[in-house]
Amino acid sequence: MRLIDLIRLALGAVTGHRLRSALTMLGIAIGIASVILLTSIGEGIRVYVLSEFTQFGTNIIAVNPGKSDTSGGNPTAMAGTIRKLTIEDAEALRRIPQVEASMPVAFGNARVEYGERGRSVLVYGVTSDVPRVWKFGVRHGRFLPEVDPRHGSPLVALGIKLKREVFGEANALGERVRIGGRPFRVIGVMEPKGQFLNLDLDDTAFIPVAEAMTLFNRDDLIEIDVAYRSAAARDLVAEEVRRILQDRHQGEEDFTITTQESMLATLDRIIGVVTKAVGAIGGISLVVGAIGILTMMWISVNESTAEIGLLRALGARRGQVMAFFLLQAALLATAGGALGILAGVGIARSLQVLLPRLPVSTPMHYVLAALVLSFAVGLLSGALPARRAAGLDPIEALRAE
Amino acid sequence: MSGLDLLRFASMALRGHRLRTILTLLGMSIGVGAVILLTALGEGARAYVTNEFMALGSNLLIVLPGKTETTGNAPILGGTTRPLTLEDCEAILRRGRRVRRLAPLSVGSARVGYGEKRREVTVLGSTPDLLPVRRLEVGIGRFLPEVEIDRGAPVAVIGRTVQQELFGSENPLGRPIRIGDWRFRVVGVLAEKGQSLGLNMDDVVIVPVASSMRLFNQASLFRILIEVGAHSEIDAARLDVLDILKERHEGEEDVTILTQDSVLGAFNRILGALTLALAGIAAVSLSVAGIGIMNVMLVSVSERTPEVGLLKALGATPRRILQVFLVEAVLLSTAGGLLGLLVGYLGSAVLSQAFPAMQTHPPTWAVVAAIVVSLAAGALFGVLPARRAARLDPVIALAGR
Amino acid sequence: MIELRGLTRHFRVGDQTVRALQDVSLTIPDGDYLALMGPSGSGKSTLLHLLGCLDRPTGGSYVLDGHEVGTLPEGELAQIRSRKIGFVFQFFHLVPRLTAAGNVELPMILAGIRPSERRARVAKALAAVGLTDRASHRPDQLSGGQRQRVAIARATVMGPSILLADEPTGNLDRASGKEIIELIERMNRDGLTVVVVTHDPEVGGRARRILKLVDGLIVSDGGTA
Repeated sequence: MRLIDLIRLALGAVTGHRLRSALTMLGIAIGIASVILLTSIGEGIRVYVLSEFTQFGTNIIAVNPGKSDTSGGNPTAMAGTIRKLTIEDAEALRRIPQVEASMPVAFGNARVEYGERGRSVLVYGVTSDVPRVWKFGVRHGRFLPEVDPRHGSPLVALGIKLKREVFGEANALGERVRIGGRPFRVIGVMEPKGQFLNLDLDDTAFIPVAEAMTLFNRDDLIEIDVAYRSAAARDLVAEEVRRILQDRHQGEEDFTITTQESMLATLDRIIGVVTKAVGAIGGISLVVGAIGILTMMWISVNESTAEIGLLRALGARRGQVMAFFLLQAALLATAGGALGILAGVGIARSLQVLLPRLPVSTPMHYVLAALVLSFAVGLLSGALPARRAAGLDPIEALRAE
Repeated sequence: MSGLDLLRFASMALRGHRLRTILTLLGMSIGVGAVILLTALGEGARAYVTNEFMALGSNLLIVLPGKTETTGNAPILGGTTRPLTLEDCEAILRRGRRVRRLAPLSVGSARVGYGEKRREVTVLGSTPDLLPVRRLEVGIGRFLPEVEIDRGAPVAVIGRTVQQELFGSENPLGRPIRIGDWRFRVVGVLAEKGQSLGLNMDDVVIVPVASSMRLFNQASLFRILIEVGAHSEIDAARLDVLDILKERHEGEEDVTILTQDSVLGAFNRILGALTLALAGIAAVSLSVAGIGIMNVMLVSVSERTPEVGLLKALGATPRRILQVFLVEAVLLSTAGGLLGLLVGYLGSAVLSQAFPAMQTHPPTWAVVAAIVVSLAAGALFGVLPARRAARLDPVIALAGR
Repeated sequence: MIELRGLTRHFRVGDQTVRALQDVSLTIPDGDYLALMGPSGSGKSTLLHLLGCLDRPTGGSYVLDGHEVGTLPEGELAQIRSRKIGFVFQFFHLVPRLTAAGNVELPMILAGIRPSERRARVAKALAAVGLTDRASHRPDQLSGGQRQRVAIARATVMGPSILLADEPTGNLDRASGKEIIELIERMNRDGLTVVVVTHDPEVGGRARRILKLVDGLIVSDGGTA
């Protein structure tokens, strides 16, 4: 039997009972819609979080003091270790081939004051490499000058929100502010960068790392950011960093190296797992819908007993009878699935309008996967009834009228 | 027709088509069962975490350096210009009227060694009051000695795992251990405790706070734990401590004080949102199951058209016919709901066995909701088929197909 | 040409054996017009089903057009039903949602014949039974006699060697029944082998050869009623 004829026959059988088929399709549609909706939200969150991270540029390796046993963990969340990363360590790493910049980082909370106004913000101690390494440029004036990081000068670049809070609309360049009670001269205002997860990057100040260390009374760094030229060099550079630092630390590997990619990969994996779990929970209704198909197909087979007998008398093979009913189930399920995809995507988009902060993304392969899934659900649910239809004795079947 | 007769009539009709009824029950029970199980899990998780907090006592205040907008979001640590100091602790002890006990907390990560063995552990610096405040118990030996708060002492209390890893079966009391480059003497071992508020208390070493602050070169404490006299006084005590610290910090409110309630509150909010999401998914699965019921009932009505005609010929009013089919639908849905409850209970029992730490029980509200909603679903989705049956013309109905 | 030798068909019902057909031997030459008659339970329907390859004999041999078909696997039996055998039933067994043309087309769709070829053959088959103007009517828009004529068109559209009719007039009034029998006889005159199962002596009397069965055995095989 030609496939197109089989499809037409199955279609004819399904449209024969319009209300019944519509309701069966509806069940699958709702199931698929909820799966699509939930996974779209999950995917949206994943894309959002990844883009937030990659805004800093991806070819960065971060070195933190102390060893953490899980990759991607942030050792600086715990106060104090006795491992120290020094500016000299950062300088040593600069010599690695393929490395564009090696930036020592110290930070802490401090109060920035100008005249009567003041604000408690996060203060970063960095070097002139920030624009290059963090892809974070200056809007007015200039960034910190390129000097020996061991010596600082009391200069500061303000984040744009900090500038507005403290200076209003007045010019800030050249003015003197007090940071932690010490005088600094403003030489630049940063371009807006926005939020990074919960941190407001515009509400920060950048001073030379040596100044920060004096300010916060530390003789070690919180982090060294190593920027390298091409993505392919990542593993080589990481290995070199490890080797050089281990050497400098009396053979101890008392630091943690995190590549942007491993962090991204971990995040990606976590969000991916959560999305799948959530999608699976949404799939409960899909299971219920599949049972609906099973039930209705079973009823349909029972009702069509005489017709099945006739088809066999006309020369249909068992396999053809089975295919006939399997296809009916698959058609119902796939049509329901297509409806569900439309509904799911539609709801996701309208949710995005209502809650603009909710990221939503439905990539094409989700849509295809959902279609394939509905087809598979149809085949699975229809299998048992189809087998029963194929196994009916034609003589008995013909007697049933 | 009495209620009991109605029920009997309905159940006979359902038993007439056993497979169909079973399949429809299955669909309903999966939807209800899954949701019951999930809410049980959620409640179990909530109870588990709440218990963890409760174990700490509801009279606890936790002081953190730095101001945060939301509770539970730890501020970035580094240097603050106004650290939490031991002098702050003394001031609180002296002037806080409702303060019963106080334990400062300094935290760091270090390599601890005995002989040849080494282990990376979390080092806590505190005072003897940590024992009651944190509900700890000494296994062998004693806890920290009473010393001047700003003077250290080279003594340490170790956790069970540390003891096992470093000392094996040897008695650790009186033995010297190395923390970083410093020497300490073991005076006690903690009783086995396991995880408590994010710290594995078996894998820690506790030293006097002044010693640890010197060890890690810290200017600020990690936390100050304060035990209040009575739970009723906790909000007043919180304001007390806040005032004292503000005064000492030049009028700046640059600390965060958490109460158990505030942390639990945030946690409960998250869990509440999750439960709402679950309720949404439940609604979706139930509607799909309901659609299945409506579908099956519609088929049933069309199949039993002659039977309906007969009933009408025997004197049944349209209203009676409606009741008959409505009761059938409600019976179907409620039976499915009860079955789902059973599945949910069984699943919870299995999980409780497998994870005894987290007791999983379906919450009462979920059970009640499940019963009520399945009843309602049957009524709602049974209306259409029942009305169809009621409106059948008896003459046409008796004529058969 | 059909040759049956020692054909038997037994059924197991619980722990009892029902001997529906016992040791039937029979030759049906091409173009024959045969009536199978007998009381209910005599095995005439069983014999018809066996002839139509809808059922397999328990024992004996069935040779159709020179090939032993009694032992063929189901798939090949289906092929034979498709190409060599045409069935007509008492209750017509038309598919209610298909038109007359659609019903006639059905066996060709199952056999995988191309649409253009199907269209031509449907037209011819419907013309042969005189229902060209009813091609797009559904069964519920046709009279009993017309429905049976559609069934006959369907049974013959694949050009079978043999037409098997099980009580073809059983559900029709006298006048329609007469029409149907005359139609079947016309096809027989054109060369189609016909076997009719009937309990109506008037219908049986018109056949060229009458086979009487009692309790699964042929008791008479003769020319007149």
